[in-house]
Amino acid sequence: MTSDTTEKHRNFDKQRDLPDEVRVENAMAGFIAEFGPRAQSWMNACVRCGLCAEACHFYLATGEEKYTPIHKIKPFEDAYALTHGPFSWLHGLLGRKPKLTIEELEEWEELIYDSCNMCGRCTLACPMGIDIASLVKDARRGMYAAGLLPDRLARIVRNAEKQHSPFGSPEDFRKTIKEIEKEYGIPLPLDKPKADVLMTITPEALENRHFGVASMARVLHHLGYDWTFCSDAFEATNFGYLSGNMELQGALTVRLIDKAREIGASMLIVPECGHAWGATRWEAAKWYGAPVDDIKIRHIVEVLADAVEDGKLECRPVGESATFHDPCQQIRRGGLEEKPRILMRALGMELREMDPHGLDAFCCGGGGGVLANERAGPLRLKAFELKKRAVEETGADHFVTSCNICEMTLGRDIEATGFGKQIESLIDLIGANMITDQPPLKAPGSGAKPKGVGKRAAGAKKAGKGRSAARRKPAAKK
Amino acid sequence: MTLLELLEGPLWIASASIFVAFAAFRLIVILFTGRREAEARPAGSPFLGALRTILGHFLPWRRLLGNGKAWFVTIAGYSFHIGLFVLLLFAAPHVEFIREKIVNLPWDPIPRWGFILSAQFAFAGLITLWLRRFVDPVVRLISRPDDHVAAGLTFIVMLTGCMALGEQSAFLRGLHLGLVELWLIYFPFSSLMHTFTWPFSRGFTGAMAGRRGTRA
Amino acid sequence: MATNKGHSAVRLLWSLLIPAFFLMAMPALTGVGGLRAQESGAAQADPGPPNTLGKRSDAEIWHDLRLGAGGIANPPTGSPEAGSVINSEGWEWAKLRNPEKSPIVHYGAWGLLAILGLLVLFYLIRGPVGHGEDSGRRILRFRLSQRIVHWSVAFVFILMGLTGLSILFGRPFILPLIGKEAHSILLTAAMQAHNLFGPIFALFLLGLFVHFLRGNFPSLVDIKWLLKGGGFFGGHAPAGRYNLGEKAWFWTAVIAGGALSVTGFIMLFPDDLATRNTIHLSELIHAIAALVMIGFSLGHIYLGTIGTRGTLKGMVDGYVDENWARAHHDRWLEEELEKAESGDQARETAEEGA
Repeated sequence: MTSDTTEKHRNFDKQRDLPDEVRVENAMAGFIAEFGPRAQSWMNACVRCGLCAEACHFYLATGEEKYTPIHKIKPFEDAYALTHGPFSWLHGLLGRKPKLTIEELEEWEELIYDSCNMCGRCTLACPMGIDIASLVKDARRGMYAAGLLPDRLARIVRNAEKQHSPFGSPEDFRKTIKEIEKEYGIPLPLDKPKADVLMTITPEALENRHFGVASMARVLHHLGYDWTFCSDAFEATNFGYLSGNMELQGALTVRLIDKAREIGASMLIVPECGHAWGATRWEAAKWYGAPVDDIKIRHIVEVLADAVEDGKLECRPVGESATFHDPCQQIRRGGLEEKPRILMRALGMELREMDPHGLDAFCCGGGGGVLANERAGPLRLKAFELKKRAVEETGADHFVTSCNICEMTLGRDIEATGFGKQIESLIDLIGANMITDQPPLKAPGSGAKPKGVGKRAAGAKKAGKGRSAARRKPAAKK
Repeated sequence: MTLLELLEGPLWIASASIFVAFAAFRLIVILFTGRREAEARPAGSPFLGALRTILGHFLPWRRLLGNGKAWFVTIAGYSFHIGLFVLLLFAAPHVEFIREKIVNLPWDPIPRWGFILSAQFAFAGLITLWLRRFVDPVVRLISRPDDHVAAGLTFIVMLTGCMALGEQSAFLRGLHLGLVELWLIYFPFSSLMHTFTWPFSRGFTGAMAGRRGTRA
Repeated sequence: MATNKGHSAVRLLWSLLIPAFFLMAMPALTGVGGLRAQESGAAQADPGPPNTLGKRSDAEIWHDLRLGAGGIANPPTGSPEAGSVINSEGWEWAKLRNPEKSPIVHYGAWGLLAILGLLVLFYLIRGPVGHGEDSGRRILRFRLSQRIVHWSVAFVFILMGLTGLSILFGRPFILPLIGKEAHSILLTAAMQAHNLFGPIFALFLLGLFVHFLRGNFPSLVDIKWLLKGGGFFGGHAPAGRYNLGEKAWFWTAVIAGGALSVTGFIMLFPDDLATRNTIHLSELIHAIAALVMIGFSLGHIYLGTIGTRGTLKGMVDGYVDENWARAHHDRWLEEELEKAESGDQARETAEEGA
């Protein structure tokens, strides 16, 4: 193979100007940096039975064996075998320092970043209980250190590093919050020096989902929280977590928790986001070396569900049937399985569960930084077929979820495939249908929002168009 | 000293020592070295989570109950492992050997038909599982040389053991014992270590899920 | 020399006829015969065949014995051979079984060598059979379960074959090479392994039967295939999922393998399952069936590996090239393509309706 053809068929991106040897060395160091008893037990338990493939939506959708989950971390395993494996002491004895090859790392970039959402479904299928999702996350650390990740993801990471958030700077944030206040006629507390609750937000909400921000604020007002946004700690998403940039992951989490402490908050609320929940609730302790006990880190779904259970939050019954897409990081890996279902019941919706659902649900296909990586788009669309089928089988009227990334992913896939359903946000539904004394939201161009689906009006129209186009050309996507 | 005496004496001691020492060393490295991270405030019991996963993963995942591969791996896997353990611990020559060399086992050996039957289960499981490594694209892709060596060595050990079943020939006894010793030496450095690591692997995952108030 | 050869041929013929006769006479030989022997033994508690002191000719005495005359309770009452004093069939069996002179060993060895020679010759003359260029399009020929079952049978078959052939050919061919002591070790090892893997072979064979039955029934196209010489000597021979040769191999494997399994079980449990006669016959059938199956397997292995390009891939990956299928199994390919097309159409119709 000539270098020409390699270049043409290159399916990896490279960042930074590093010699290959340095990339390899960085990768090796990155791979093994996080190693502890947990990862070592996993690495030494695999018997190569291949059942993990039977759980992975990318394998199931394509039938391609390279998407077998345990295969995706091969360079990581190789690095482990060379440095910590059973024969590593032999290398030391012989004075050798074996290395991975740059080709292996380049080849695996796609498998580690494009074809894994770290959704953890394979963990359930593994007879040995190996948590491959965690290992993929560790593997990304090595890949990031080597400067071998998808360009688009790398760009977002750089924005998060330099500008505070992939959305923009604190200044951008303040401007947008003011805009939303004006747009919907609702006060949005910002930069209060003291508050009991620090509220965080996702870039998607700031860019495209202003109604969602407003309705979430309205719910918090209704519940009577003393809360605030902080312009120097508003970003909930953590692209360090997704990319393998552990320093950034730590910095972003610490920024939120330190800020909460600074304003004397007792609670930090994670918005409709999956990996933010994992990074903040379940991984914050590692940056402090101790559990974060003084601040309750709670998910917005959890907060609302508990309010419903305590009788503090009631909704007008929406009726109709709905199915719920389980965001992996909230449900399977986050422990919130029951919470969104409490909210669905509070909305008076007939919940028609997908097969599979809950802990066994298929991932949306966009989590774990895959959505940010446009290169993975075609693969993601294939995996969407599984979700589409599951939704269709329920015959439900509404298709609801509680994660912005899932929502964006499913929204884009719906548009691309002409699937005749729209994806709705659970929090928006609550915000629009809650029974409250709070003044109604003033919506640009329209009045009240019946049944809480109004904010998606534009999207719905688009989706509807896509659908009729699909009717005309049924085989167009083939 | 004849070769058989050598195999039953010094070489047996040496290989058994290597097995014990390195398996223990490997386990210590796995369980006590590297980074330990602080864990989040638990939402559920890590202990119960670990227990649930350690026990629960003895059965295939409920979503795979309609999956032929999962059935195959489960049935062939159990067939092989149960057969092997019965042979290892209850076969008359093994009971005699273990009593003589290691510990006075409190149980009686199984009758000959029990031996034959367990050997057949063990062989049927091992052969099908091993051959699958060559013809299932998924498993062929992920199988390491180690997986083949481990399967092959185990097969040869079992085969020579069964060939020596007549107990008429010192050569066959020596052949079996020599291969067992090779297997013991290979064991700590290979995927055969899953014999000991599985409860930890499942346990860590289960504890993580338990802490998060979910299940794995 | 000539007479000796003629004699061997007669013996071979006889050894082939015995199993056929045996299959038909099995119930009579085992059940009824045993019963009769028992009855006679129990009813007349006399001290043995009469006139053993010379009043009757030897031939008559032997005749009585062969008909089950007995009286001495050894083997014990209740066992299949109760009351039988001497089994004269053993003479005939011993002649066939005699390792140096046995026609089975003699013709078996020549037969296998002849098949090997023919295969080498065929390879040298014809070379590997191809199918032109690969099309690059793949089509599924064997499912994963079929592949696993096939190779499991193959693996155990080779193990059984090697150990079995050692037992059959050990004394005339291996013993002179390695000496008595090594040979005895080899044979005890071979026997133990052979006995142990036998039931596994039977189990796997059952799996093979179930997994490969579909497509192995005779059809009209088989005649065309045969008339075209199977395409072995040039030209195209049409075939469905399996061609006549493969079908013959399937049924040979099933019938010979089944006979091997049944007779094998009889020999594994001789005290419980059989009389001496049945064991003798089982052994003969076992040897003949084994030689037939091994002989056929050599051809199968040749054609599956170096004999035909692209065939092995089908049994390893499960997929074959479309042009391979067109050359060797054109009817099957047509069916598969049609199925795929109608499947696509069904899918499209469903989508239009959605």
